Amino acid sequence: MILAHPQKCVACHLCEGACSFQHEGAFQPARTRIFVHDFVDEAVYVPVACFHCKDAPCLSNCPTYAITRDSLTGMVQVNDDRCIGCKMCMVACPFSVMGFHEEKNVSQNCDLCGGEPQCVKICVYGALEYAEVEPVDWMLRLDQAERPAAAAG
Amino acid sequence: MPYGWKGQLLRINLTDGSAQKEPLNMKWAAQYIGGRGLGTKYLLEEIDPACEPLSPANKLVFATGPLSGTYAPTGGRYMVLCKSPLTGAIACSNSGGYWGPELKFAGYDMVILEGRAPKPVYVWVYNDQVEIRDAAHVWGKTIEETEDALRAETDPQARISGIGPAGENLNRVACVINDKSRAAGRSGVGAVMGSKNVKAIVCRGTGAVEVADPLKFGELVFASMKEINASPTTSMALRGMGTASTVGFTNSVGILPTDNFQRGQFEQANAISGQTIAGTVLKRNKGCYSCPIGCARVTETSGASKWKGHGEGPEYETIFGLGSDCGVGELDAVLYANYLCNQYALDTISAGGTVAVAMELAQRGYIPPEDLKEVGTELKFGNADAVMRCLEMMTYRQGKLGDLMAEGGYRLAEHYGHPELFMGSKKQDFAAYDPRGAKGMGLGYATSNRGACHLRGYSMTVEWFAPPDMRLDPFTIEGKAKAQLELQHKAGCEDAAGICTFSAFGGLTPDKLAPIYNAATGENLSLGDWMTAGERIWNIERLFNNRAGLSRKDDSLPPRMTREPLTNGAVQGQVVELAPMLEEYYRLRGWDDDGNPSAETLARLGIE
Repeated sequence: MILAHPQKCVACHLCEGACSFQHEGAFQPARTRIFVHDFVDEAVYVPVACFHCKDAPCLSNCPTYAITRDSLTGMVQVNDDRCIGCKMCMVACPFSVMGFHEEKNVSQNCDLCGGEPQCVKICVYGALEYAEVEPVDWMLRLDQAERPAAAAG
Repeated sequence: MPYGWKGQLLRINLTDGSAQKEPLNMKWAAQYIGGRGLGTKYLLEEIDPACEPLSPANKLVFATGPLSGTYAPTGGRYMVLCKSPLTGAIACSNSGGYWGPELKFAGYDMVILEGRAPKPVYVWVYNDQVEIRDAAHVWGKTIEETEDALRAETDPQARISGIGPAGENLNRVACVINDKSRAAGRSGVGAVMGSKNVKAIVCRGTGAVEVADPLKFGELVFASMKEINASPTTSMALRGMGTASTVGFTNSVGILPTDNFQRGQFEQANAISGQTIAGTVLKRNKGCYSCPIGCARVTETSGASKWKGHGEGPEYETIFGLGSDCGVGELDAVLYANYLCNQYALDTISAGGTVAVAMELAQRGYIPPEDLKEVGTELKFGNADAVMRCLEMMTYRQGKLGDLMAEGGYRLAEHYGHPELFMGSKKQDFAAYDPRGAKGMGLGYATSNRGACHLRGYSMTVEWFAPPDMRLDPFTIEGKAKAQLELQHKAGCEDAAGICTFSAFGGLTPDKLAPIYNAATGENLSLGDWMTAGERIWNIERLFNNRAGLSRKDDSLPPRMTREPLTNGAVQGQVVELAPMLEEYYRLRGWDDDGNPSAETLARLGIE
């Protein structure tokens, strides 16, 4: 998963560009799977991507069983063939990190670029870090999950 | 859809309230790269350069480049162009932030505003939908109030570029500000927007920018990112201390303009330096869209003085304009003045320059007491209260003095009979390098097409910042004309491509930028072609200025620069020998004695 360090983020949105370029072949922040939330007045910038939750609300709320967990990597993934574009997962996601692809009419979340996430690669500020899903300690995830809230006050 | 571009521009006729989409002239786009070059070409074709800048006959162009919106390093910039009400020459002010890329994502490379709206309006662009909406409720409001209000009634993710009270009141040094604190600062572009009764362009886009060769593009960008991140100038000095990192250096050698360029060293420089800022008022640094440098400062006043606020800045130029040039050495006051300028949407360089001229006029007793009384506090160097008061007076045109200051420093000094005290060129104030201690900068200020500007030909890089073995002696005039030519072409291409000139400090030099441009657009320009495009941009700007009535007499410096030597530091005894440099410059450019590009030069560059 993508570990974020919001205190190092400068809100350049390079990660969003890199994400859409990787997945869409074009620069289109509206299609990104990592989201930088700028709280301009508070000077807080928070990048967030799918945490691949252990108990994933998107997965358990999907009416068509389109969201599954990869048994090998532990990643939560959307199967385009089964997704009907109802956006239930977007509503269910506690972190609002489920994205949506308008043309394909399917949900999309961070797929870690197959193990070489482009957002991490391009972030020169060290605000993003890659960690494999399974070995990450649950407490670390919790810490990550709490950070945006804490940072935003 | 052409690569790098959206291939479409938005033309808004404010007089009749119509908005039209039209294809971008791709032939011009290829010839002039984009942004600054392309915008100038459109202006030259569409308006009479001799028109009155604040009349409906002028047009206001918001232009992105082919790299705006991509993840090319610093690819987040756009330009605002028009005929300048300050200089009467071409105005092309560059800004970062997020607005330029957002316009591209909405599907447009440029916006052209024409005519004049019968009442205050703002433009709301959401992809294909364009609305011209009433702006009565935000007219008169500051930048922050305006942005918050307009974002609340459009889209929470909308990006906004607009004017504050200064632009509305046709202040000739008003700027356009986007994302609350990024300024397309110079030459009074904000006044032109105000004259058109347009408060803001609010923009939200969900589209894509495609590049011709994604693999190659990605490879080149990642290599450049790595280099920028490894360069001490970009990743340590600029990221750590911002542009303010320069204060200590310029002050030590004696070219930090102080008290309206009467001196080159400021006793309190340490209190307003980049180091001090980083250690005290800096909350964090910030980056514009797609920027791997992150030089923007998010700051908050210390709380220990009466000046309280928070916002972005100050940049080096602001520290000079509102600090040393006005003799103000209190950091909180400089910060506060910066925030005020951002809220009013005033150019911090020219606003500071104007206050500094007023202070010197007062110092020498050229302003009658009844006019001085309007300030309410003593108008003298070092008085921060006077700076704040003057900023307010010039924004709202309060009283006779406020009205005069709103016309810019030159017109102010001229009114009181001493135009020679105005420190600038083509009626635009100098930036923060005393040209007597960097003579290439003197030539650069004098020849800059938009009036005095440090970024048109930033020869500080070769005169002072370069390693000693690659340095041009700042005190000689030899080689300066040639250096200026190259720097002017280089900067022209950067502004046109849609990236920030600071990227070159991190190694993104023209030989590396041209291939990135090629991979994005599918063009195939050699380094030579690239620099020629820069020369083409320079010459078309010059052509605009010539047609606007400017000539050799306007490529000048005030007598203080050419006759009064500096008295402190390493630069002691120096003046700018402008005439011989200018002579050589015209010759190298292929211009006639009056500064007009010759027919051969225009033909060589393919300018029709």
